Amino acid sequence: MSPIKLNMNEIPYLPPQRVIEAAQKGLSNLNRYADPEDLELLRKLIADYSKVPIEHVVVSAGSNLLLKEIIHMFSKGRSVIITNPSFFPAIQCVKQYATKLTRIQLVPPGFNLNLDFIINELNESSLVIIDNPDNPTGKILLDKGVVKTIIENKNVLLVVDEAYFEFSGITCADMVKRYPNLAVVRTLDKSFGLAGARVGYLLAGKIFLDAFSTFYASLPQSSLYAAIEALKDHRYVKKNIELTIKERERVSKELEEIGFQVYPSSTNFLLIRTGIPDIGSELKDRDVLILDLSTQWLQGFVRVSIGTPKENDIFLSSIREVLKV
Amino acid sequence: MKKIGLIVNPIAGMGGSVGLKGTDEGVYKQALTLGAEPITPKMTKKLLSHITNKDKIYLFTAPNQMGEEYVKDFDIDYKTIGQVGKNKETSADDTKRIVEEMLNSGIGLLIFVGGDGTARDVCDVVGSQIPAIAVPSGVKMFSSVFAVSARAAAEMVDAFIEGTDLTEKEVLDIDEKAFREDRLAARLYGYLMVPNVKPLLQKGKEASSIDKFSGDNKNEIAKYVVENMDKETLYLLGPGTTLKAITESIGLHKTLLGIDAIFGNMVVGSDLNEKSILKLLKKYELRKIIVTPIGGNGFIFGRGSKQFTPEVIRQVGRGNITIVGTRNKVNKLECLRVDTGDFEVDNLLSGYTKVIIGYREEMVIEIK
Repeated sequence: MSPIKLNMNEIPYLPPQRVIEAAQKGLSNLNRYADPEDLELLRKLIADYSKVPIEHVVVSAGSNLLLKEIIHMFSKGRSVIITNPSFFPAIQCVKQYATKLTRIQLVPPGFNLNLDFIINELNESSLVIIDNPDNPTGKILLDKGVVKTIIENKNVLLVVDEAYFEFSGITCADMVKRYPNLAVVRTLDKSFGLAGARVGYLLAGKIFLDAFSTFYASLPQSSLYAAIEALKDHRYVKKNIELTIKERERVSKELEEIGFQVYPSSTNFLLIRTGIPDIGSELKDRDVLILDLSTQWLQGFVRVSIGTPKENDIFLSSIREVLKV
Repeated sequence: MKKIGLIVNPIAGMGGSVGLKGTDEGVYKQALTLGAEPITPKMTKKLLSHITNKDKIYLFTAPNQMGEEYVKDFDIDYKTIGQVGKNKETSADDTKRIVEEMLNSGIGLLIFVGGDGTARDVCDVVGSQIPAIAVPSGVKMFSSVFAVSARAAAEMVDAFIEGTDLTEKEVLDIDEKAFREDRLAARLYGYLMVPNVKPLLQKGKEASSIDKFSGDNKNEIAKYVVENMDKETLYLLGPGTTLKAITESIGLHKTLLGIDAIFGNMVVGSDLNEKSILKLLKKYELRKIIVTPIGGNGFIFGRGSKQFTPEVIRQVGRGNITIVGTRNKVNKLECLRVDTGDFEVDNLLSGYTKVIIGYREEMVIEIK
């Protein structure tokens, strides 16, 4: 039996059959590069979905690649500000190019971003990168007012990673038209259930667009066709979100009844504080994978992705087994 | 009415400001000759003044300077237990004997004011019979049994009266002789039950990591700190291996557990006490303190480096304090903590700050 994967924040549901068939059609053209017209169609569909003009859309093979490119293009000579913990790719690149890397420790119970401190830091040329909602706390760190306060400072470039936007409904994507120093990074990995296709996109303000003008990221045809098909009719995403939120609330309630501290989440995962040492290993022994954050952040914190009702039941019963309750 | 015992180790913490790192084995006499002032009266009074449920307490207090002397100034019903001569030298045996008598009188909670040594004495007698609240007043206080401050201890007393859960916390045995010889030798001594009010309890000291990554990280920190050092400034370096890495990177020796001073690439003071630090501060116009938090509990002042007294911190100023710590250590902290014993200085230090955690790398974290 393969383990139950609740450690990568994937959606447990397959996309509709038509999306899978589109990916299969792409596989039958393995000897060919993607057609530029298809890439343009994908940009148009993303623009419509995001309600942002097509000229602000950059498509890429995964949002991590976009974030890495942003680091390469913009961290040199700038101070880079991120939250801690961060699963942000290319931290090493930041340290290679940036004048300074500042991490802002997020701590319970509120996991709030200290905005005053950030504003004070923005006197020097800065690149601020923030997940919204945040991973792994699940908290919404920015609203439009906060975004505006940050980007009205001309020294600043702000990148908001909205990988979990569909679960929160909070976005600042529409602000990229007005603010050249704002970029929003998104992915079809999560709510669209296309983690295996690795399709990411950037909704970019002018400063970012200019830098990305020579960027060309082709997609594998299977990913491209799957993404196009998914975006043509994305009603299934709403269903994924509804099922996930319903399960998230159920799992949260049961964990609280067991005695764990569970933090409010606007994503498809839960941040949990447990008093059980090595809970990650204990669950792994029972074929349930979660992310134990103790080694890289605060002691006793774990992140658990929301699976199918059956997977969540196995997770909960495994927890009870570990606790012997 | 809750029957609660109170015992104070009157000499606890006296070695701190004079750089003696403890008061075990008669070292406190040396502390007295160096001009050390007792600190437990202040801590005990702070504790008693912040308990809000005074009317629900019947206190069994140790006599004279071991408790009674402070209790009588407050509106709390009390009875004195045991005997000890007024202003006479007290010992671990006095603590153990009087705690035993308090237990026989039926106390349901014991409050003690002292350091790691006092915690060990209490642990010997109390074990898991009743819960205890440890008011930090020693020099080191590496045991997790301690409340984060006297005020926090008072809140724990109130929580106990209102019926909070209990939890088990560690008492550590720190070898003071080794500590004075610049070695940290700690072992788990035992456990005490304490009211479970997590934010009010400190975490025990975590051993410094000596793995390769941690060593590399300390060297990164040292490189960044040294690059930003100025030859016209006096640097007062607190205890710890991260600070030692800084001096080693410029070829200077540093005591592991003491406070050393460097100026213009030379060591100008080693294993300093408060008096000698204040003397240096008079001599040098530009001065900075560099400290590292204690792993696990995040204390930067008030634990392990009491030579940085409120007066020293006030003179140096908040803006001249640099905090350094490895990623592994700082990542695991919810906040940094201070408990200098001076409310104003604690307030001055509180708020958000940056900790250097690598080469050109910082962490923003709150000091509480």
